[in-house]
Amino acid sequence: MNIQTPVRLGPAEEKLIAQLEGAGADALADQLRARGLPTRRVEAYHYTDLKMLLRDVPDLPEPGEAAAAPALRVPGSYRLLVADGEVQEVGTAPAGVIVSEQDGPVLSERDDPIVGVNRALAVSTLKVRLESSVDPVVHIDRRATGVAGHVVGSVLIDVADGASATVLESCSGTEEAHLTNFATKVNLGKGARLTHIVVDLSGETVTRFHTLEYEFAAESHLHGLVLNSGSQLSRTQIFGTVNGEGAHADLNGLNLVNGGQHCDITMDLTHAVPNTTSKEKFKVVAREKAKAVFQGKILVAQDAQKTDAKMMMQGLMLGATAEILSKPELEIYADDVVCGHGSTCGDLDHDAMFYLMSRGVPQKLAESMLIRAFVQELLDPIEDAELNEALSGVVEDWLAQEGQNLSA
Amino acid sequence: MTTPMLEIRDLHVRIEEENKAILKGVNLTIPHGEVHAVMGRNGSGKSTLSYALAGREGYEITDGDVLLDGESIVDMEPDERAAAGLFLAFQYPIEIPGVATMTFLKAAMNAQRKAREQEELSTPDFRKAVREAAGKLSIDTDMLKRALNVGFSGGEKKRAEVLQMALLQPKMCILDETDSGLDIDALQIVSEGVNGLRSPQRSMLVITHYQRLLNHIVPDRVHVFSDGRVVESGDKDLALELESKGYAAFDGVPA
Repeated sequence: MNIQTPVRLGPAEEKLIAQLEGAGADALADQLRARGLPTRRVEAYHYTDLKMLLRDVPDLPEPGEAAAAPALRVPGSYRLLVADGEVQEVGTAPAGVIVSEQDGPVLSERDDPIVGVNRALAVSTLKVRLESSVDPVVHIDRRATGVAGHVVGSVLIDVADGASATVLESCSGTEEAHLTNFATKVNLGKGARLTHIVVDLSGETVTRFHTLEYEFAAESHLHGLVLNSGSQLSRTQIFGTVNGEGAHADLNGLNLVNGGQHCDITMDLTHAVPNTTSKEKFKVVAREKAKAVFQGKILVAQDAQKTDAKMMMQGLMLGATAEILSKPELEIYADDVVCGHGSTCGDLDHDAMFYLMSRGVPQKLAESMLIRAFVQELLDPIEDAELNEALSGVVEDWLAQEGQNLSA
Repeated sequence: MTTPMLEIRDLHVRIEEENKAILKGVNLTIPHGEVHAVMGRNGSGKSTLSYALAGREGYEITDGDVLLDGESIVDMEPDERAAAGLFLAFQYPIEIPGVATMTFLKAAMNAQRKAREQEELSTPDFRKAVREAAGKLSIDTDMLKRALNVGFSGGEKKRAEVLQMALLQPKMCILDETDSGLDIDALQIVSEGVNGLRSPQRSMLVITHYQRLLNHIVPDRVHVFSDGRVVESGDKDLALELESKGYAAFDGVPA
């Protein structure tokens, strides 16, 4: 029996429905009208109640405003500028990189409103095909420009068989209350190797949704890192299917949150075939009244024997008002696998603080040394020196927001 | 009368977590340039004394005062005490993963210089100072590239403590059971390192429960510690007497 109680729609839902109808996505609009945005009763949104948190949806952006200097600059990189979801600058692509645009959604269809809106409203898709071993970092610079807008964008990264590359996506924009909904679809060819970094440096009033979808062919290898330090409200969704034997997924995340930020990383990874491995490491540093959410689910299909998956979440809670919510899940249908997960949360180590201070290191500096030490593990594997330095800079900037002494 | 380097006056300390009074009126005066030893059985409050002097949280001073070169330090944070010239060599140095030893040494040296309104050390000067001090303690510079105290052997940890002492140039050093976990060779190296730092401008408080260390670091005065206070003081021969008669002869508590 199914009793339908009518859903009261708020202004954010009304605007979204109008935008969806404007784009001809009537089915999705009807569904949203019937269900509303997901509330805490929907398990996947239990800690990020969109109906409550999403108060408004700005208009779709007017095209054509030029963006200012990049929020993150990596010397020697090949930079592609995507402003308000539209490709603005492509420059001269280095050897092995083919840039094009295509129509149609990149994300697979799934019952998720963030994915649905992206599929319906993305203007066009930037396609980056990596043909061989690409030397420079490919930097996809995603921007929200001008006045507050509902910016929807999608990117397809196609790594050819045997190719290797490093792709950085940075998300930033003007200091307006934008709503961004980005999608990145990554196809890893046979034996392909990709380092994929996504950095959020959006303004402090931005609401940001970003869905990452990975497909792994045999023997492919991914090192992924999501680094969030921007936005008021953000949800990064990571969907992955390891569907090639011998493939390895290394998925990492770092949420640096303060003030009243709400930052959610939700991962759903499926090991679909035998002999695949994955390693997930997610870290949070939360201050003030910030809230960080990590939901990580690994599903091992019945055929996926010899899967080796290890997931870890570590949180550093600085102060009594910060909140870290962690929900690791394993769902295993195969019987010959090695899977594990762990989750820890805590304060800075008091013994270490005393030791550093007893050597004359002031409290603030000692704290930032220990925070750096905590996050360093996620930056160490980034081999490109300039990129590594740029990401360290993001961490340093975040530490500096706290007015800390960074002279070490 | 000249100001002593360290003056502990009727010090009472309570450990907050256990809600227990540990130090019950410690009086101890160490003049400039002297090395004093505090000996006592396990549980007599020796380590509490060292932590209370260094300002560890949870060690509440309920009464009394501690003067470093004439200035009270009891209201200072641990880093301010360090900048004022106090140094505690830990019995169990803390392992800090992710913080390279060199990074730490530089941060500590520069923080103290800053607090004393001195200029920061240049990187070449810093490296030279570390190389020289490490050489004297037979410390392999590869060890200094590793994370602080992580994976160091017992002997390496203690040598690293003395290295920090040599680099930070404190005026008052407290060595808490520096001999524990050391084999004879390491004890020799560490003691030589400590002896090399003895000077008329620097005083030391050596905390130990074995006389052995005091053959290497010969003290000017020896104090016997029992149940949170000093029960007997004498010259270096007191340590030998203690070793032959046992603590019971001094504190009346059966062994």
